[in-house]
Amino acid sequence: MAYVSMGEAHRRITEYLNRFCDAVSNQDSFTLCRLLSFSSNSPSILSLADALNVFQDASSLIRQSDKFSEYGEIIAHLFRSLQSYRVGNLVEAYLAFDKFANAFVQEFRNWESAWALEALYVICYEIRILAEKADKELTSNGKSPEKLKAAGSLLMKVFGVLAGKGPKRVGALYVTCQLFKTYFKLGTVNLCRSVIRSIETARIFDFEEFPTRDKVTYMYYTGRLEVFNENFPAADTKLSYALQYCNSKKERNIRMILKYLIPVKLSIGIIPKDELLQKYNLNEYMNIVQALRKGDLRLLRHALQEHEDRFLRSGVYLVLEKLELQVYQRLMKKIYIIQKLSDPARAHQLKLEVIAKALRWLEIDMDLDEVECIMTILIYKNLVKGYLAHKSKVVVLSKQDPFPKLNGKPVGS
Amino acid sequence: MHEGCVMNQGGNTQTVAPLDPNPIEKRYGVEGSQVQTSPYQYSTGSDAASWTTHSVDNQVVQQNGNYSNSNYYHPQPPVPATGNVQETSSSTSGTVNVAQDYSAYTPYQTPSDLQNYSNTGYTNYYSGCYQQQQPSQPYTQPVGAYQNTGAPYSSFQNPGSYAGTASYSGTYYNPADYQTTTGGYQSTAYNSQTAGGYVNQTPTSSNQGNYTSNPYQNYTPDAANIHSATTATATPVHYQQNYQQWPGYYSQTEVPCAPGTENLPATSAFSQSFPVAGGVASEMPASNGQPAPSYAQNWRQETDSSQPPPQQPAAAVSASNNAYWMHQTPSQQAHYPVPPQNHYQSPLETKPLYETPIQGHQRATYPQELNSQASIHQAPLGYRQPTQTTPSVDTQRVSKIQIPTNPRIASNLPSGYTKMNKERSPAGATQTPAYVSVSMSNPKGHTSAMPEPGTFPKALCGFVERAFARCKDDKEKASCQAALKKIITQATNDGTINTRDWDIEPLSTVLNTDVTNTESSSAPISSLQNKSPTRRPKSRWEPIVESKPFVKPASTFTSGVKFGGWNHPNVNNKKSSETFQKVDAVTGSKPTYFAQNSAKKSFQRPVKRQRFAGGAIDDEESSDSEKELTPYYSSAMSLASSADEKKRRDSRSKRFEKVQGHSRGNDIPKPKISNVRRGTALRLGEVLDESCGSRAVEDMDWDALTVKGTCQEIEKRYLRLTSAPDPTTVRPEDVLEKALSMVQDSPKNYLYKCDQLKSIRQDLTVQRIHNHLTAKVYETHARFALEAGDLTEYNQCLSQLKILYAEGIEGCTLEFAAYSLLYITLHSNNNRELLSSMSRLSKEAKGDEAVRHALSVRAAVTSGNYVMFFRLYKTAPNMNSCLMDLYVEKMRYKAVTFISRSCRPSIPVSYLAQVLGFAGTSSEGTGEKENDGMEECSEWLKAHGASLIADSNGDMVLDTKASSTSLFMPEPEDAVAHGDRYLDVNDFFTRT
Repeated sequence: MAYVSMGEAHRRITEYLNRFCDAVSNQDSFTLCRLLSFSSNSPSILSLADALNVFQDASSLIRQSDKFSEYGEIIAHLFRSLQSYRVGNLVEAYLAFDKFANAFVQEFRNWESAWALEALYVICYEIRILAEKADKELTSNGKSPEKLKAAGSLLMKVFGVLAGKGPKRVGALYVTCQLFKTYFKLGTVNLCRSVIRSIETARIFDFEEFPTRDKVTYMYYTGRLEVFNENFPAADTKLSYALQYCNSKKERNIRMILKYLIPVKLSIGIIPKDELLQKYNLNEYMNIVQALRKGDLRLLRHALQEHEDRFLRSGVYLVLEKLELQVYQRLMKKIYIIQKLSDPARAHQLKLEVIAKALRWLEIDMDLDEVECIMTILIYKNLVKGYLAHKSKVVVLSKQDPFPKLNGKPVGS
Repeated sequence: MHEGCVMNQGGNTQTVAPLDPNPIEKRYGVEGSQVQTSPYQYSTGSDAASWTTHSVDNQVVQQNGNYSNSNYYHPQPPVPATGNVQETSSSTSGTVNVAQDYSAYTPYQTPSDLQNYSNTGYTNYYSGCYQQQQPSQPYTQPVGAYQNTGAPYSSFQNPGSYAGTASYSGTYYNPADYQTTTGGYQSTAYNSQTAGGYVNQTPTSSNQGNYTSNPYQNYTPDAANIHSATTATATPVHYQQNYQQWPGYYSQTEVPCAPGTENLPATSAFSQSFPVAGGVASEMPASNGQPAPSYAQNWRQETDSSQPPPQQPAAAVSASNNAYWMHQTPSQQAHYPVPPQNHYQSPLETKPLYETPIQGHQRATYPQELNSQASIHQAPLGYRQPTQTTPSVDTQRVSKIQIPTNPRIASNLPSGYTKMNKERSPAGATQTPAYVSVSMSNPKGHTSAMPEPGTFPKALCGFVERAFARCKDDKEKASCQAALKKIITQATNDGTINTRDWDIEPLSTVLNTDVTNTESSSAPISSLQNKSPTRRPKSRWEPIVESKPFVKPASTFTSGVKFGGWNHPNVNNKKSSETFQKVDAVTGSKPTYFAQNSAKKSFQRPVKRQRFAGGAIDDEESSDSEKELTPYYSSAMSLASSADEKKRRDSRSKRFEKVQGHSRGNDIPKPKISNVRRGTALRLGEVLDESCGSRAVEDMDWDALTVKGTCQEIEKRYLRLTSAPDPTTVRPEDVLEKALSMVQDSPKNYLYKCDQLKSIRQDLTVQRIHNHLTAKVYETHARFALEAGDLTEYNQCLSQLKILYAEGIEGCTLEFAAYSLLYITLHSNNNRELLSSMSRLSKEAKGDEAVRHALSVRAAVTSGNYVMFFRLYKTAPNMNSCLMDLYVEKMRYKAVTFISRSCRPSIPVSYLAQVLGFAGTSSEGTGEKENDGMEECSEWLKAHGASLIADSNGDMVLDTKASSTSLFMPEPEDAVAHGDRYLDVNDFFTRT
């Protein structure tokens, strides 16, 4: 920490106070944002933090002027938070910031116009980031992390301020997205439901009027929720929306969307091009897509095993696992095509023995009972058209379109 | 608060009604109903406003007394009107009367008259009090507020603040009443019948307690002036505490007042005046008696003048308190005199007579008192109950006053006041001291410890309150509590509790000074201040201190026993009588008050009335409780001590917390304490009391509460605890280990095992044993539960096991991880849960056979691979198959659905029996088994609507085409309408 003289510290703090109060009185949201964004680590913020640590009695400065003392409480909390933040005491920083945020929201509630929305966004963002950092600190100290949860309730409060009618409504979706991020991180996604209901049932405000950025984020998270529920058509709609409106320069965001959209698309029988996977570095899906193309059950299983942790964490494991039936279908189709080449007349009869043999080639050991079971499931799920003759251990395929494509519909529908 | 108050009031009234059986009771009921109107609370609010105004007037004080239920009333009445007025006011419209007296006696007076008349029944008084409260509300809103607070208090007390109040009263006279009342409350639980009666009593008692406390305060000042500053301070402190407590309890009421803004001022004024009055009451009376105008001034003056003024106030207070007060005051005076204890004691001794009478009938006691200063007491008695005694002793001081008051009320009040004042003045100074001493003596009488606490209460309470007031949070409070406890214990042990100048003790210099300097103003203020912040502390503390005071009061109040407790722990009657005597000696009027109170509370009137009187109410309760209610109390005690009860109380008190705000939270501990107090009150002389008290003090110290079992029985039936565990029925760890192995080897059925395991679990829990044995017990139970398909029990065990495993306790973690996976897969079917539990599995876990099996089952289920599923079913390790049983039915149905859709034209049943796990479950291969599987399978298929036909070979086959549309899932055979087959009546009987 560079040495800061008392006078310099005094000057910096006074300047900050002046800028803060001017920004509020001029309704200058942009300046206010810059004054509030901790995590930007901007030089001005850092130098202010240093000054605060030198000049401990900042509150007396605030009290000196009526102009400052009007927002004295807000700023005092902010200063305390900044001080703690600068010296690495993140839990303290969070607590002070939480107080600051509460005070600011209280103030914001009284402002009729929504000019400070951007500043509120910054606060919502910072509180979440600070809470995450504070939780890390708590965890490393062997204490139970709880700050993010606290931040969640604060964000919910902010949402309550914005969710009503009026010009502030437009900010509700941003807070919603911050809430989603919090809840997903906490693993309490069921808490999202109430927020979603509030957003989607509100007739007074068209969803399209929200900022695109927030709409994309919102669609991404709600799409992920649909993936959890294995509601693939809805997930496809939402994630596709997110992909469509996502800024094409934000590759990281696009990749995040694709991580969920690809399994969803695969589940409804739509296979992505390799270039797409390569472009967005989604290599974990390469083998899975390959297995679907080739009907290679072994490859699918290997791919799932290889990336099991990743898929479990992102929550697509169960979705990908269900692709197995489509791989079976592909395999049957292959056998059927090969049979057709050698004996077109009897090609529609798939002997269970033959299928078991093919699986053995894939190093998958199955007896006839199990093969029969798989075939019943395939027929039942309408991945194979035909019937199974138990007595003769033969699957008799339909002569018309024995392997119907999913065409965007989920398996079994 | 309002609601709470109302509720309480309602409860009170109800309770009153039951109690009311006697005329008094009826009156009470009426009053209660009136009160119920919630006029009390509400009125309090309005009253508060008026209070401010009224407060200026004596009326306010009176009203306060009235409002404060009996407590305030009593004090007030006594304050305003001398014995007569006080009685009346305290009882019915005594306060009102007082207030009215000042402003308009007549209206109130009528009530007061009623009261006086009712003296016969304190009930009248009570009812009167209630009525008065109502009236008082209008009249002296401020007072009303107070009263309300008082009422709230009582109500609060009912809720669980009972303990608190009890404790409060305990500290003083009231404490005893409170305890009893609380006890009653507890037993009945606020409401109710006995409770109702009790409640009434309690309120009244509480009121009385308050009154008493007020008187105390007054006295204390007096005492301070006269005798020893410490005692005086102590009394003030008590007052403050009481006030604070009340406020705490009643913070609602207070709050209402505060909301009224007027109230606030009023309260502030009140607080000042009150506390003062609490003193205030005394002041009020003094003012009433002498110069009504400025009570505080009067007080101060009085205090300044020391004895004389105090006497007046004391007398006034006592008078207001009703006989009780009077008695108490006298007794207190005697106590104060305690220094002159001998003399007073002698009076007290005479009181023993009273006690006996009281126990038997307050009248009797009164007469005894009369004997000493019997005439006065008798007079009160007469008042209470037909005034039989009134003529006799009351005549002297109180009786005269009372009698006049009764008829004239307003006029009487003045006269009474004057008389009272006079009387007071003579004996007042001493009387006030006597009060203190009495309280002291009472505790002593009951148990050395008890008496000590009693003595403590005043100074100690103040001390404690101050200490708590400084605590900013619970932690501080806890540490503070511990420290205080230490100090008190030490003081108790070395006998310095009484002698030590608590006011001078470090923590509370400010309060002390305030109290001593200007009891009225400072005390009130302190009390007010304390109310919100200190409430909790008070409650906790109070329990301790109060318990002692309570005991004393109880003893005194309880005609025989309580009194005996006062003077002599063993001989309650004697003590009580002594106290009475003292009082009598000091001021006949006081005894009369008691008598009146007791008389009024004819049903358990003696007790109730005593409570009303201030200490009297408490006494009544205690006596009642001791005599009639003892069982209730004891039950209440046990209930109170039980964790469940505590919880309930806590939750109850929490309700009020919400209303009151911050202070409530602190009260939670109070309830416990109060419970303890009640317990102590109930078992006044018993050792249990002490233990309870100590426990209450330590209520946060779970280690100290942990039971160490001594039971050597291996077998024990499970019984859900409704009270604190009894160590003699709890098995220590080594016995539990034997019990576990006994259950494991037992050939008996699951219901027996479940019962035994639950009792083992209970014993483990109450002893807070968290080790491998605990894990083993839960694992064993979980396995048995799985075996029997008892998922409810299994889930309980599993959630406990998760906690235990998370604590690092070793157990069959992998086995249960597998169960957990299976359970999620097969039962809860929650994808996110499944994903998270799968991602939590370590590599080591994935290598475990059971976990791998569980994962395979999951794969089979998600893909619908029934062949794989039933193969896994047959090869399941551990109890995995038991969990799979959950899904067998669904899986079979799914499989048959698949097959009938996919296979044509038919499929042999034998094949299905083989694939769907019907065949060869136990031993494979033999033809018989296959056939068994066939039969079972075909039955199952038929039950599910499958179409079975015989093929050309005569083999049974499934007609898939026909079946594909006819399959259905039948209702489970053991399904019951309510969804839990374990709730089956027959099962229930077999279980029990």
